[in-house]
Amino acid sequence: MRVDLSVNLAPHHKLELRLRNPIMTASGTFSNGLEIAKHYDVERLGALVSKGTTLKARRGNGVPRTVETAAGMMNAIGFQNIGVSALVSQIAPVWEKWSVPVLVNIMGETLEEYGTLAARLDGVPGVAGLEVNVSCPNVEAGGIEFGQDPRAAASVVREVAANTSLPFLVKLTPNVNDIRPIARAVEEAGAQGITVMNTVPALAIDVRRRRPVLANVFGGLSGPAIKPIALRQVYLASSVVEFPVVASGGAMTGTDVVEFVMAGASAVQIGTASFLDPSAAWRILDELEAWCLAEGLNGLDEIRGVARRRD
Amino acid sequence: MKSYTIEVTESQRLYGNTHLLWLVEPEAFFSVTAGQFVMAYCGEGWDPLLGRAISIHRRRVTADGRREFALLFDLVGRGTDWLARRREGDAVRIVGPLGRGFEVRERVQKMLLVGGGIGSAPLIWLADDLVREGREVTLVLGGRGTPQIFPAHLLPPEVELVVATEDGSLGETGRITGPFQRLLSWCDQAFACGPDAMFEALYRVVADSGLRKPVQGLLEARMACGLGICYSCAVFPKRGGVRLVCHDGPMFDLRDLYG
Ligand SMILES: Cc1cc2nc3c(=O)[nH]c(=O)nc-3n(C[C@H](O)[C@H](O)[C@H](O)COP(=O)(O)OP(=O)(O)OC[C@H]3O[C@@H](n4cnc5c(N)ncnc54)[C@H](O)[C@@H]3O)c2cc1C
Ligand SMILES: Cc1cc2nc3c(=O)[nH]c(=O)nc-3n(C[C@H](O)[C@H](O)[C@H](O)COP(=O)(O)O)c2cc1C
Ligand code: FES
Repeated sequence: MRVDLSVNLAPHHKLELRLRNPIMTASGTFSNGLEIAKHYDVERLGALVSKGTTLKARRGNGVPRTVETAAGMMNAIGFQNIGVSALVSQIAPVWEKWSVPVLVNIMGETLEEYGTLAARLDGVPGVAGLEVNVSCPNVEAGGIEFGQDPRAAASVVREVAANTSLPFLVKLTPNVNDIRPIARAVEEAGAQGITVMNTVPALAIDVRRRRPVLANVFGGLSGPAIKPIALRQVYLASSVVEFPVVASGGAMTGTDVVEFVMAGASAVQIGTASFLDPSAAWRILDELEAWCLAEGLNGLDEIRGVARRRD
Repeated sequence: MKSYTIEVTESQRLYGNTHLLWLVEPEAFFSVTAGQFVMAYCGEGWDPLLGRAISIHRRRVTADGRREFALLFDLVGRGTDWLARRREGDAVRIVGPLGRGFEVRERVQKMLLVGGGIGSAPLIWLADDLVREGREVTLVLGGRGTPQIFPAHLLPPEVELVVATEDGSLGETGRITGPFQRLLSWCDQAFACGPDAMFEALYRVVADSGLRKPVQGLLEARMACGLGICYSCAVFPKRGGVRLVCHDGPMFDLRDLYG
């Protein structure tokens, strides 16, 4: 027997966003999927999310770009990417042959750039939806500043919505006093869902060189170390919105996924875990299925948000 | 490239601060080339979290027909310390084989191999292979002192060995750029592995010599994945752009980086 783990991340959108199961890859932790697809069957996953894509190609930050920390790591890649045009002409045609939905993660430096990016990706075969990044801690302009204020976030949502017919999620930062007003603003402005959360802004210091380790000084913390933070943010955000909340932050096992679903998540992104093992997303999916079978669940709806119930 | 949990068959401090580990080779390693590497996962649980990139140092088939490969590494921190404490029968998880290895030209005879410090690790297997193919191999090893130099008696006897130490305790006194400069005109193709600064010095020697000798270098970079999916291991060629050491390399023609 198999459990039905399918989930629709855009039930009210005309194109919908149907996933075979709730296991997605996280932006920037799976490149654009082509490397891993040579070795593993990406079609089994719920959805893939592209590397963060900008209008023009970017070389990214200097090195070191990553550093290991206690049960985690920090990164400041600085949006190295091939730019939206090359993505559309070289990568999307490959995605088109896959049945797994691919979301393109976009990041603009200005409000207009978000709109232009959305327009460039509209109707591109192989692109099932967007994930709008208003939470990147590692760039000078754009990114996080749009995600720390409900009005700014809502204006990005309206700009994207005006330029695309695709369903889209908005990826939020944990680096705010209260994520709830931002989540609500994004829902009201017309996004189909949110991804909670991006990395946690952090610092590592090299005592020998007496300087920050990363060339960018600050970086984003990810991995198992941030899971408790992500769980809280998912719990808070999903308590105030009706639309799907996709969890991201430290998921390493099937049990972690169950925890995120119990906090209110509809799907869970696998990020840093893939660095340790390229087949992590598949293993986690197997573990989730096994857990559901052992618990006699028919679907994840039976446990979604249960940890928030007070009865 | 896959994740394998494999058994240690031999573990010993080989020289100085350098440890040798023999492991059972997964079948998929059949077609690996010298210069490719693995990510080795150190410890249980998620701390330390990331893999350690280690080159494949040597390969062998045991008397009972088992294929094995070796890792040769310096003890520098938590990860390599954990690896060095593995004993025969212990399990280690690795992901591999990874990256693009050396590309040896077919009809050339005179091969110059240059290793700085632990950079000798991947060159030993290359030397094994080249000697077996009947080519002439000169191996230049350099380091601060004797404890950094791979033991001569463990090399195939056909290899011509040149050693240079900075403290003069073994071989010539000085850096490997000296012998490299001398031997450059002799060789048909050269292969190098060592610290970053060494590559730039080697490239200068080649450029100044006016000889158009192809030199392949095996680069090092801070890696999080080793798989081409995180973009941590960037290297910036002088001519512009950005390459990923784990995916586009670790083997690069030095001209493509410094030219
Ligand atoms: C392609 C490649 C092949 C390599 N092959 C070998 C080899 O054959 N033998 C060998 O001794 N070493 C090799 N290295 C270097 C080796 O990866 C580091 O010495 C090792 O990661 C140190 O880990 P640690 O936990 O002991 O040290 P720590 O300093 O505690 O490590 C902390 C973090 O820094 C990273 N790090 C530290 N030093 C280096 C380094 N020099 N290069 C890249 N990352 C580093 C670690 O991976 C870890 O994430 C190679 C590196 C690369 C990129
Ligand atoms: C190396 C690296 C690169 C990342 N790049 C992006 C990116 O381009 N866009 C984005 O929205 N998030 C990016 N992220 C954030 C991840 O998608 C994810 O939200 C975060 O790492 C937390 O999840 P994890 O703990 O499972 O990794 C990146 C994370 C890492 C570690
Ligand atoms: S180490 Fe991740 S891309 Fe090279």
